[in-house]
Amino acid sequence: MSVFMDLNLRPTAERSTLQSLLDTAAHLGYSAVAINYVFEPTSKKKQEIPKPTPTSELFDKLPTVQGRSRPIRVLNRLTIVASDASHFRPSAPEFRSFDLLAIHPTSEKLFHAACMTFDVDIICVTVTEKLPFFFKRAPVSGAVERGLVFELCYVPAIRDSTTRRYTIANAVCLLESCKGRPLELRGPYDIANLGLLFGLSEGDAKEAVSSTCRSAVLHGETRKTASGTVYTKRLCTGPAHQACTGPAHQACTDSTHQACTDSTHQQEVTDPGSEAADEPAAKRARPAPAVTDSTAPAVTDSTAGQ
Amino acid sequence: NMENLQQTSRNLLVCDQSSLRHRKCRLSQQVQQHHFNHQVSLLLPECGSAPPPLDAALRSFSSSYLLRKLPLHELLDTHFLQDAVYQGSVYGLSYRSRIDEDTCVALLPSGQLVLSLDKDVYERLGVEGKPSRFNQRANSRYVVTVNLTDSSMAPGGRGYQRLLTGLKSRVQLQTDFLLSHHPGGGEALKALLSRYDWTEHRPQVSSRLLTNLPCPTPLTSDLPSCDPHSFLEWLGAVEAEVSCDNESTSFLSTLVCPEPRAVLSRALRVRVSGLLLPQDVYRLIEELRRCWDGRGTASWAALTVQGFADSPVSWGSREHGFLKGGENFYSLLLCSDHSYWLCMGTGAHDGCPP
Repeated sequence: MSVFMDLNLRPTAERSTLQSLLDTAAHLGYSAVAINYVFEPTSKKKQEIPKPTPTSELFDKLPTVQGRSRPIRVLNRLTIVASDASHFRPSAPEFRSFDLLAIHPTSEKLFHAACMTFDVDIICVTVTEKLPFFFKRAPVSGAVERGLVFELCYVPAIRDSTTRRYTIANAVCLLESCKGRPLELRGPYDIANLGLLFGLSEGDAKEAVSSTCRSAVLHGETRKTASGTVYTKRLCTGPAHQACTGPAHQACTDSTHQACTDSTHQQEVTDPGSEAADEPAAKRARPAPAVTDSTAPAVTDSTAGQ
Repeated sequence: NMENLQQTSRNLLVCDQSSLRHRKCRLSQQVQQHHFNHQVSLLLPECGSAPPPLDAALRSFSSSYLLRKLPLHELLDTHFLQDAVYQGSVYGLSYRSRIDEDTCVALLPSGQLVLSLDKDVYERLGVEGKPSRFNQRANSRYVVTVNLTDSSMAPGGRGYQRLLTGLKSRVQLQTDFLLSHHPGGGEALKALLSRYDWTEHRPQVSSRLLTNLPCPTPLTSDLPSCDPHSFLEWLGAVEAEVSCDNESTSFLSTLVCPEPRAVLSRALRVRVSGLLLPQDVYRLIEELRRCWDGRGTASWAALTVQGFADSPVSWGSREHGFLKGGENFYSLLLCSDHSYWLCMGTGAHDGCPP
C-alpha cells in the first residue's frame, strides 16, 4: 500500500473554501491531492485551456497530514471533457504545466481512442447518468497495459439515491467517474469500503485510493521528463546561469557553467535526481505490472467536483 | 461478486484452553512473544477497588522513552548496541508512522531490526529484504529484517556497513521513536537519550467502576457457558462501553450479553496504556493468580492486551499489516482454579497467532 491520495478536488472561486477543503483532506489523512481544472471545449468558439494557479498562490499554508509529519502535497490536474478527438491536442504547451492529464470521453469512439492511444493518465467515466455506451474489454485492457487508470467519482453515490443507483450500475460494468460537488470529501478507509459496492475486492478497493493513485501520478511525471530519464530542477538564479538555456545541464556548453562554483549549482549537478526520475523510466520502459484479471482494471476512486 | 459484500474482513481468532498448573502451559511464551503492547485492560467482577498487591503491579509498569526525530542509523550506534541491544531486551517502535502508508520500524528484544518500507525507500536503501506477505498485485511494501546480534551485523562487518551507509547516505530515514529496555530502563538507553530530544512516558493507569453489568454465567473455563466468539463480543462491548441492552428503539448496537446471564452489581475496569513490556504483563498475570491463593471472592478475571495497530510485527517476528484495522490483541479469562481461556486475535493482514 502507499499513501492515500485524492486526485479530484475541484477549485472553487473562493480561496478560503479551497483552503478549508485542503485542510479537511489533510485531516482525513490524504497525503496528496490534485486540483482538477476541467476544460469542456465546444465547437462553437475557441476556448483557452485553463492555466493552473501556482500552489503557492492558492494556499497560504500547506497543512500537515494527520498522523504524519509531512505537509500535504498538492498537484495540478487537467480534465478534458470531450466527444471528439479534435479537441485533444497532446502536444499543446498548455498541458505541460499540469502534473496529471485526464480525459472524460463522452462517446464510445473517443473512449476507445483515449484508452488505446492518448497520452493521458486518467480516464474518467460518467456516473451521474446511464452509460451512453458499453465498455468493451479490448480498450479497457489496452488502457491498463499502458498504465492508465480509470476514475470513478464517489460523491454522487453518497448524495442522492438515484445517482447512487447509476453509480453502482455503471461501476459494476466498469468504474466510471462522474461530476459531483466539490466540497464532499470522505476518509480514505471509508472510500475503500465504498469500493466494495462497486465490485472491487478489499485489497483492490484500498489500492484504488493509494497505490493506483501513485501510479497515475508517476505516469504523469513521465510527461515532464524526457521518457523519464532526465530530470532538471532550476536552483541557480545568478546571471551566469540565466545564460544557460539548455533543457538539461548536461547538454549545456556555456562556459560560465563549467566555471561555476556557486554551491547551489554544484548541488544540482551531483543531485542523483529525485525518486521520480527513477520510477517513471521504469514505468515507461516496461508495461505496467500485469493485471492478470482483465475484469478488474486499475481504478481510482475520487471526489469529482463541479 | 456480490457475495463479497456479505463477508466481513477476514480475521483470525486462536483460542487456547488450559491451566496455569499444567506442565505444558504455553501462556508465558504467548505473552512474552507479543512484544509491543499498547494497552492492558483488566476487568475484575464484584470488585470496588483493586487489592493492594494487584494495584501495585498495575502501577509498576516500566516507563518508555519517546525520542523525537531519531535518525534510524543511530540504532546501529556502537554504544547503543553495547548498552542496550546486547544486554537485556530492548523494545523499539517507530511512533506516528502508519504501516500501510509509511516506513515503520521495530526493534525486537531478540536484537532483530525490522524495517517495513515502501517501494521507493526500499529500492534506494540497497539492503536485501523480502516483499511483504500482504502485497496486492504489485510489490508496494518490503520488509528488511536484520539481526543486530548476529556476527554478520557486528560493527565494522560487511552487513553492518551496508545498512549503515544505506541509512546514513542513501535514504536518511528519520522518525519519532518509542524505546524501552528491560531491565535497564533509561540507563541502558542513555547513549541515545543524551543526544536527542526525548520525553519519558510513564504508563497511564485509569480505572472505572461499572455497575449493574450483565455478564455471562457461569464463567468457568471447564464448561464454558458460551463460545469464545460470544464471550469476546461481550467483553469487547464492556471495554468499549457499548450497551448490550439491544433496545428496540436503538439501532446503534445489537450486541447482547450471551445467555445464561447474571447481573454483576459492580465490576472494576482498570487500564494501563503506554509502551508496555510483556514482562510486566506476565508479572500482572502472576499477581492475579496469587490473588486467588487463599482469599478473594471473585471467581474470574478478564485481561485484554492490545497491540499497536501500526506495529510491523504481531507475535514474534510475524508480519503485521493494516487493511481495515490493525488489531493484534489477546484476551485472557483467568479463573480461580487457575484454568484459563486465551483468545488471540489478528486481522486480515496478519499471520496466525502462536
